[in-house]
Amino acid sequence: MRSKEIITSMFVFGLSVTLIFALAFQVAPNLVQSFAPGLLWVVILFTSILGLNRIFSLERDEHALWSWVAAPVDRGTVYIAKVISVLIFVLMAEILFIVPFFIFLNLSTQFSFIQFTLILFMGTSAIVSVGCLISGITLQAEIRDVLIPILLFPVASPVAIAATKCTRFLFDQNPMIEWNFWLLILASFFVIFAVFGYLIFNQIVEE
Amino acid sequence: MILQITELSKSFYQSSVFNKFSLRVESGERVGLTGPNGSGKTTLLKMISGIMSFDSGGIEVGEQKVHSENLDSRKNLYYIGHSIGLYPGLTGGENLDFIAKLYEKSSSKNSDILTKVGLISSKMKNVKFYSHGMRQRLKLASALLIDPDLLLLDEPVTGLDSDGIKLFENIMLDWIHQEKTIMIVSHDLDWLSSQTDRIVELD
Repeated sequence: MRSKEIITSMFVFGLSVTLIFALAFQVAPNLVQSFAPGLLWVVILFTSILGLNRIFSLERDEHALWSWVAAPVDRGTVYIAKVISVLIFVLMAEILFIVPFFIFLNLSTQFSFIQFTLILFMGTSAIVSVGCLISGITLQAEIRDVLIPILLFPVASPVAIAATKCTRFLFDQNPMIEWNFWLLILASFFVIFAVFGYLIFNQIVEE
Repeated sequence: MILQITELSKSFYQSSVFNKFSLRVESGERVGLTGPNGSGKTTLLKMISGIMSFDSGGIEVGEQKVHSENLDSRKNLYYIGHSIGLYPGLTGGENLDFIAKLYEKSSSKNSDILTKVGLISSKMKNVKFYSHGMRQRLKLASALLIDPDLLLLDEPVTGLDSDGIKLFENIMLDWIHQEKTIMIVSHDLDWLSSQTDRIVELD
């Protein structure tokens, strides 16, 4: 039930931002094509925030997290489980709003769909791994809904830049060999934050 | 199960709650904790259970040192706190199944346990619709399911009606027979002295 709520709200939000961009930027198609990668990752970053704000909401109700914090379980696996679930939610929302994004902005689709999927997956994974860690760190904070975007945007900006670069090169139909460096940055971010989050989650969920 | 607390220190910002606090609770002993608000009663139980970290010193539960990486230190104890510590969006039965999985216990006795605590008719009801007393009973059910050697009970009868208090006292009798080590926090000194072997006052 709550999963449906999260995906629906992320989709509606993503679609709304896409519509605003489409209506606000009524310029030459080649210009739109050049800044569309940046717009796409802004939409994805904003949409991810919705999922990240909700991901520990169940645990905050009535201190439900005590059930597993006090239990003999590896708390790091909870972090990994959260990363996987948010990743699934965000990717599902992306699937729903990416088609309208291309239609409303009238973008060309002359690029490799497989490579585009790879960029989306790597970029989203990196954002989510950073975001879940920040969401966990702010778990006990009263104003966590405000803190998550404030902390996430600066930390995730290298991810947004790398993902935008990859997408830009792809939209310009450059061969992957020219932009795989940026893809490696995304992969590195994901791996580093996923491992770091797994290792320190034991401590950060304690009061 | 012996509980050994050695030179435990804990501060919140600049305010020290515990400064080299030591306490030993023998196996099968029942110890009451009392003291004014803010004296650290709940904090102490949370630190023993692993919910809260501490600055220095040590806590040993049996042979196991309590720290975040040591899962075994959390295997044989259960903390019943002020908050329910269970998922309000799940039913009572689902919460017990979840607890059983966390502690690697069989779920086969869940219905019997819920019958014992008087919640069998509310098994399919979401916990968010439970009254405070029903939530307390569900926490007792979780403790019965896990069957730990060390029980940390924070105001366990608050919110319970007279039947609930009787139920708790009957369960306590079972735990005494099973020689469980128990720490109880309460402000009611008379009740606490009737349930425990000795009382430690925190200030």
